[in-house]
Amino acid sequence: MRKISTVIACLLVFSLVLAACGSKNNNNASPSASPKSSTAAESSTAPESSEAPPAVDLTQVKATISVYYPTPDQVEKRALEDDKIKRFNEVYPNVEVVKSDWQYNPNEIGIKMGANEAPTLFNTYATEGKFLAEKGWAADITELYNNYDKKDQLNPILLDQFNLGGKIFGIPQQGYVVGTVVNKKMLDDKGVAVPALDWTWDDVLNTAKAIADPAKGISGIAPMGKGNEAGWNWTNFLFEAGGEIQKVEGGKVIATFNSDAGLKAIEFYSKLKEASVIPADWALGWGDAVGAFAQGRTAMVIAGPDGPLDQGLNQGGLKPEDLIVYPMPAATAGGKHTGVLGGDFLVINPNATPEEQQIAFQYAVFDYFSDKGLESTEANIQARKAENKYFVPPVIQYFKQDSEYGAKVKAVYDKYDNVYQYSNELMGLLDGKPEAQFNTQEYYAAMTNVIQEVFSKKGVDLKAQLDAAAKTVQEKFFDQIKVE
Amino acid sequence: MNQTTAYPISPLDSPPKRPPAKWKKHIWGYLFLLPAVVIFFTFLWMPIGKGIIFSFYHIDFVKGDTFVGWDNYERVFKDPEVMISVKNTLYYILLGILIGFWIPIVFAISISEMRRFQGFARIAAYLPYVVPFVVLYGLWRWLYDPVGPINAVLTRIGFDSVLFLTDKAWSMISIVIMETWQSFGSALLIYLAAILSIPRDWYEAAEIDGAGVWKRIRHITLPAIKNQIILLFLLQLIATSQGFQTQYALLDGGPNNATLTYALLVVRYAFTRQDYGTASALGVLMFLVLGLLAVIQYRMSNKREA
Repeated sequence: MRKISTVIACLLVFSLVLAACGSKNNNNASPSASPKSSTAAESSTAPESSEAPPAVDLTQVKATISVYYPTPDQVEKRALEDDKIKRFNEVYPNVEVVKSDWQYNPNEIGIKMGANEAPTLFNTYATEGKFLAEKGWAADITELYNNYDKKDQLNPILLDQFNLGGKIFGIPQQGYVVGTVVNKKMLDDKGVAVPALDWTWDDVLNTAKAIADPAKGISGIAPMGKGNEAGWNWTNFLFEAGGEIQKVEGGKVIATFNSDAGLKAIEFYSKLKEASVIPADWALGWGDAVGAFAQGRTAMVIAGPDGPLDQGLNQGGLKPEDLIVYPMPAATAGGKHTGVLGGDFLVINPNATPEEQQIAFQYAVFDYFSDKGLESTEANIQARKAENKYFVPPVIQYFKQDSEYGAKVKAVYDKYDNVYQYSNELMGLLDGKPEAQFNTQEYYAAMTNVIQEVFSKKGVDLKAQLDAAAKTVQEKFFDQIKVE
Repeated sequence: MNQTTAYPISPLDSPPKRPPAKWKKHIWGYLFLLPAVVIFFTFLWMPIGKGIIFSFYHIDFVKGDTFVGWDNYERVFKDPEVMISVKNTLYYILLGILIGFWIPIVFAISISEMRRFQGFARIAAYLPYVVPFVVLYGLWRWLYDPVGPINAVLTRIGFDSVLFLTDKAWSMISIVIMETWQSFGSALLIYLAAILSIPRDWYEAAEIDGAGVWKRIRHITLPAIKNQIILLFLLQLIATSQGFQTQYALLDGGPNNATLTYALLVVRYAFTRQDYGTASALGVLMFLVLGLLAVIQYRMSNKREA
């Protein structure tokens, strides 16, 4: 026994010594200090008017870039990407484009960057801009953006989310304002009146009450209750009530979601629970809630509209006339229909060489504003039509809707009856509001606990719950931040 | 038969042969051990060592790490979620023992007593173990649904329906029932192998002496598989103390942290909050506790062998 203990102890000590030799610290060279890398941290300290590198003919550059590639289940999107790679290689014949089907995940990005395995160009969400930039995991592409001849045509609503202190860290792909998608067929089948688009919280509650049938497992509305999605869903109601997640005062971040507006929003959630209009099994994540919607187990779901529409039309067997996209309801009549503004972005890996970064940028915008890109989209719509599937465009495009290119795209959409069209009334009512700038996920997690308490218990002291969550977020996270 | 026992005598002036060095004698043994040592070292000892070191650092994979002393441990002891997760983990371990531990023993004994269809019963009991987790979670979500089959039966016989996953009182119990269903087959096979290795003449002698089924089980089967029971008990303690997969996949630690286990908290610190230092500190503390359990298990198995 003693011998074995000695051997184990020796192995442990040996491991510690080796691990210590291998571990990094501030004094050691980190990947960001390597000559080929240029992290956001470095870029942010670099002077704006740094000397421009000598002009290189990128079409002749020999390089390899790995790019975001859709997952195997997204057959149509993969076909579009394959076509794009083929056309890209016709212009940049010496560039090898490696497909990476890694999908951005906040739980994996740290490991990917640590192992230097993140693709040269990867996808991410609107919430992640500040986080990625601060961590040094997104390259500062301001210079590339400034040299882009169509930069002024990019949609500023989206671009602003990755514009941090005048520096650009991401390329917008598409966006959304969170709305409520309603299964009109369920309402019609039960003879429930369809509310006006300019609806309120009361309309939501009344419609949900009319449609809910707990004995059959049918709910009126399915607010997400599992994971951080729960906090994200609730934040829409906070915004509609006029509340804010946080404010910055004297260089400090202060939690404000426990305000009167916050209380009003959580009281509304409590009303939904008391009226038994939410699923009895309310622990639903995004996939669960949207899946329940597509299966006709809930009449309303809160999300970026294109997701539930796509699932309802292409998997749930619903027709466009069976579904209505609503803006988020106003707290009271005449109020704003504010929803969280979100979207998908492409980010360039700061560990890539400057040349690779340039090529990755060119790849990202290769189809932007091009007729070829539009032809490719049209081919995709036709392919979907042949399979009796619908094409659901994003609510917010990377380009301005009223631009020349926007009109061209609209003309293509108008040619096909399998393209879902958002109503003009809806587009006029949508009011997007960006998410919190600091510790968004931690705030969502804290609010998720409050929501779960409200959904699982009766007689919860709502104000006390909100205050406790705000205190936790404040002390654990916000107090660590110094805003400069 | 010309065999001779004589052997050549070496000349007196030649030097005496030295016995080969010990390491030379065992060189092939060491060489065979080498791959295992390399693998264990790379994938087990090194990560453990790194984890211990990381627990004293603020980890930043890109900008470099910063030594923070005991800060990460302080954060662990100040975080109220840690105590919640410890309590939940202990509760989960306890439920695992109360609900799940005895089932494979009962099934193994029952199957061993079967005169017909023993092979079928063995396969049927083991089948859930090969069900992929995705299918398992989908299946049990359906079973636990408020209007699913279990609740249909409950309401038919006059009970209120149960919110198996979203009621805080039921969520952990529901997880343990599901996991027991899925994994009891593997433990059952171990017990069954032990039971089937008991000499049959012991049972025959007991039967001749008039022992019934219960007496045979109590006085022959259970004492004979005592070692396996102790071993699997300790292994279950170690496994359940690290449990997080089902809690994460089904409820993400909810409702309101009711299924937040210690290992799930480590995952949250590491991958949601990107605080690898504190996650490592939590891991080190867990390592110490599990190390203690492993030592106990080792000593007990040594004692049994002695």
